[in-house]
Amino acid sequence: MNTKKNDILQGTLALLILKSLAAHKRLHGYAITAHIHNVSDQLLRVEEGSLYPALHRMEQAGWIRAEWGTTEKNREARFYSLTSLGRKQLTEEQESWQRLTEGVARVLRYA
Amino acid sequence: MRNWLIRLRNALRPSRLNRDLDREMRFHIKERVEELQESGISADAAVRLAHQQFGNYTAQVERTRDMDISERLDAMLRNLRLALRTLAKTPGFTATVVITLALGIGANSAVFSAINAILLRPLPFPNADRLVRVTQYQPKVWLPLLAAVRLEEWNRMNHTFEAISGYFTQDDSELSGDLPEKVTHAFVAPRFLQVLRVAPALGRDFAPAEEHFGGPSAVIISDRYWRRRFGANPNVVGKTLRLGQWVNPIIGVMPASFLFEDRDVDLWSVSPPDAPYAQRRDTTWYTAVGRMKPGVTIAQARADLEAVQADLGHEFPKTDAQIRPGVEPLKEVTIGGVKRSLWIVFGAVTLLLLIACTNIAALLLSRAAGRGHEIAVRFSLGASRVSVAAQLLTEVLILAVAGAAAGLGLAAAAARVFAVLAKDLPRVDEIGLDWRIVLYSLICAVVATFACGLVPAILGTRRSLAGSLASSGRSQLSGRHPIQFVLVGVQVALAVTLLAGAGLLLRSFQELGRVSPGFEADHVLTMQVSANWGETSDPKSAWQTMNRIVNGIRAVPGVESAAASFSLPGVPGTFPVELKVSEGRAETEPKVVAESRVATPSFFQTMRIPLLAGDMCRDGSYGTSMMVNRLFAKTYFRGADVIGKHLGQPGSIYFPTAVVRGIVGDARERGLDQESVPTVYYCGGYIQPGLYFMARTHNAPMTAAESIRRKLHEIEPQRSVYGLSPLAAHLSDAFAENRLRTVLLTFFALTAISLACVGLYGTMSYLVHIRQREVGLRLALGAIRGMILRQFLGQGMRVSLLGCAAGLALAAAFTRLLSGMLFGVSPWDAPTMIGVAVLVIAVSIAASLVPAIRASHVEPMQVLRDE
Repeated sequence: MNTKKNDILQGTLALLILKSLAAHKRLHGYAITAHIHNVSDQLLRVEEGSLYPALHRMEQAGWIRAEWGTTEKNREARFYSLTSLGRKQLTEEQESWQRLTEGVARVLRYA
Repeated sequence: MRNWLIRLRNALRPSRLNRDLDREMRFHIKERVEELQESGISADAAVRLAHQQFGNYTAQVERTRDMDISERLDAMLRNLRLALRTLAKTPGFTATVVITLALGIGANSAVFSAINAILLRPLPFPNADRLVRVTQYQPKVWLPLLAAVRLEEWNRMNHTFEAISGYFTQDDSELSGDLPEKVTHAFVAPRFLQVLRVAPALGRDFAPAEEHFGGPSAVIISDRYWRRRFGANPNVVGKTLRLGQWVNPIIGVMPASFLFEDRDVDLWSVSPPDAPYAQRRDTTWYTAVGRMKPGVTIAQARADLEAVQADLGHEFPKTDAQIRPGVEPLKEVTIGGVKRSLWIVFGAVTLLLLIACTNIAALLLSRAAGRGHEIAVRFSLGASRVSVAAQLLTEVLILAVAGAAAGLGLAAAAARVFAVLAKDLPRVDEIGLDWRIVLYSLICAVVATFACGLVPAILGTRRSLAGSLASSGRSQLSGRHPIQFVLVGVQVALAVTLLAGAGLLLRSFQELGRVSPGFEADHVLTMQVSANWGETSDPKSAWQTMNRIVNGIRAVPGVESAAASFSLPGVPGTFPVELKVSEGRAETEPKVVAESRVATPSFFQTMRIPLLAGDMCRDGSYGTSMMVNRLFAKTYFRGADVIGKHLGQPGSIYFPTAVVRGIVGDARERGLDQESVPTVYYCGGYIQPGLYFMARTHNAPMTAAESIRRKLHEIEPQRSVYGLSPLAAHLSDAFAENRLRTVLLTFFALTAISLACVGLYGTMSYLVHIRQREVGLRLALGAIRGMILRQFLGQGMRVSLLGCAAGLALAAAFTRLLSGMLFGVSPWDAPTMIGVAVLVIAVSIAASLVPAIRASHVEPMQVLRDE
């Protein structure tokens, strides 16, 4: 498979998922990819192969919780939502992301 | 490492997890397909594209699942690490809990190992559930042995058995060495090893020719004898043993696990049932054992043999009409009466474990309350109640597993002690550590974890409690913690139950010691001399041999008198017999049923049983005269009337009609705990396997042992002398099981009350600690120290009094289980119950006094400043 430029950088996926869940109360996996895809104006595309392992890892870490529910089309889906621990994690990751991009931007500007 | 992980993952792979993942991913693909179709792509292409985008489906599922599992493992490991760290910080607490659990689980597993070996495990033979004891019941014959001819007929005519065989044992002398060596020799019927389905470890089973009269002689020896006598020589087959006048080639060695009928048997040889002397239908000698065909029930086997015996009854009405066959599981027969004792001891030790758990629960509860801050902090960091409870339970699990491991070590040691203490229990050689014991200990540990940890985990993680503790810390007045006092009360109640049981058993022993048995056991040495059953075929010579030995013993310096008897007085055993009175007896008078004994006339002098009326028997040969005891004379005759009467079973070789010469005192022949019963003593006797000789000595009995042994070797060089031991030791052995039960129960009861005291002390100390501020305040406001002391002491006493009352109620319900084991006390013996109550109250005063004094010595200024 060829690498696409708009694939999501490793490690930022968790941040994007947390942020998506902060915006909507509860989302299923497919809706999370759709949300990220739409909000980023089709710039970012979540690799399905890394989405579910990430979701399950975050669930075990206690940042998000999952429950079964039905979609508007009356299909069974697993919905994810933030926990208070996840909210705290989001704040931290957001801060560190901003520090990182700011740092990278400064380096780029300097050159 | 990878391999291990994969295996662990497989073990942890619940199918539900897989199904859920599958559902989740399929949903994703379905949504994608729909979206693609909406953008105008054909259905087929959409499905293909969606799958392509999703990548390798199986790999995704596996990766996701790995995430779940590794995170679960991580969480477990995290809990484990944290728990270990927390426990290491409080070594005193940790050690207390581990030791308490180790004692509880160790004692429990040790007793369970005995139950496992004796009661639960099948007998050590293949398909042992099909093995049965086969007996012939006959009116007026107390030993249900089987006649040789009948054994062969039953074996031939039945339809439900694969085979029936039998055995009897006698003590022989092996004469190849310098001195005769006493060996226990089992004579078996044909098919013996086929019935038990055990093959010799070396050599072979008996050949058909060796199972017939006049065939070649052959012996199979035990593993123990092989090691003792031949130093485990692998070339032992073909060597010979000299037993009496017979030379027997060894044809095989049994495996070490083969201990039938018990560990004492040294060798087995065939007693051919077709021998001319085995053809009498009224002499019985085999203890028979049969192997039923697969699927046959005991009832079917019994019905089958009954039909067979009914046919024999028609054929031989004189001898066989009244005989009934008996069939019982061999295991039940082997275990006998120890079943109840073992379950009672097991019950006691389980109560002990329960007390240990309750104790630990109380400790954990105090600890959880002290850790309110820590728990509150973890809640505020988003930990769920389940994860905090899991954390607390992990700690308890570590404690329990450590306790179980230590307990298992203890159980292994205890099982060895148990085997020594209980050497007379059946199957005691089979006690040992096996996977079942390990599994049992682990189950104990897990159950203990939940029993100890659940209540503290639930109470300790109540959010409201955690929240309040977080805000106001320690200065808040804590409640009275009724749950902890309930736990202490439960401990006291259980300990009282155990103490009551142990107390009753101890009192029984005390009563037993006060009994006057009617004979004097001190200064009596007993012994046996090897003999064989063949000698009994010449009664005159057998009688002379016995007298020669008695006189030989009598001639040894230091011996006051000597006697021989078929049984030892006071050692349990009962031989009832119905006697006819030759002089006639009215139909209206009760049948004459008495205990029967056979002894030389010198027996009464040796045992110091007094002659009350009439004369002592003269040394006539067996079966011409008898003595009766006072109770017999009083029950069936008007006292001295009995003298001169002729009693016996006409025609019987065992109970010939004999004249009553005199009346002797009542002795507790059947056991010290059994009242005397009407008894007849046939005077005389003859040498036969199992005959006891006894000597009254001037000094301690064992001091004469060596000179008696030498003297007997002089007069009977072909016989070995064995079993030299004081009569008192036999009497004490007769109560070995009883004593073991008492010792164990007492030990458990004392441990239980100690644990309950520790629990009471711990809870009181904790209470005093958390109420320090209140006490300080009250003292500052003018409370009197004595009042504070009284108040705390009162609280401790209330708990232990309630526990005590509950315990006595429990004891009243449970001591009935002991009723058959008590002697001279009722299950509701007041002195025992009062004694227990006094003891428990005294120790609980001691346990609450120290914390109460500490409370009354609180310095008000100190406490108020500290806050």
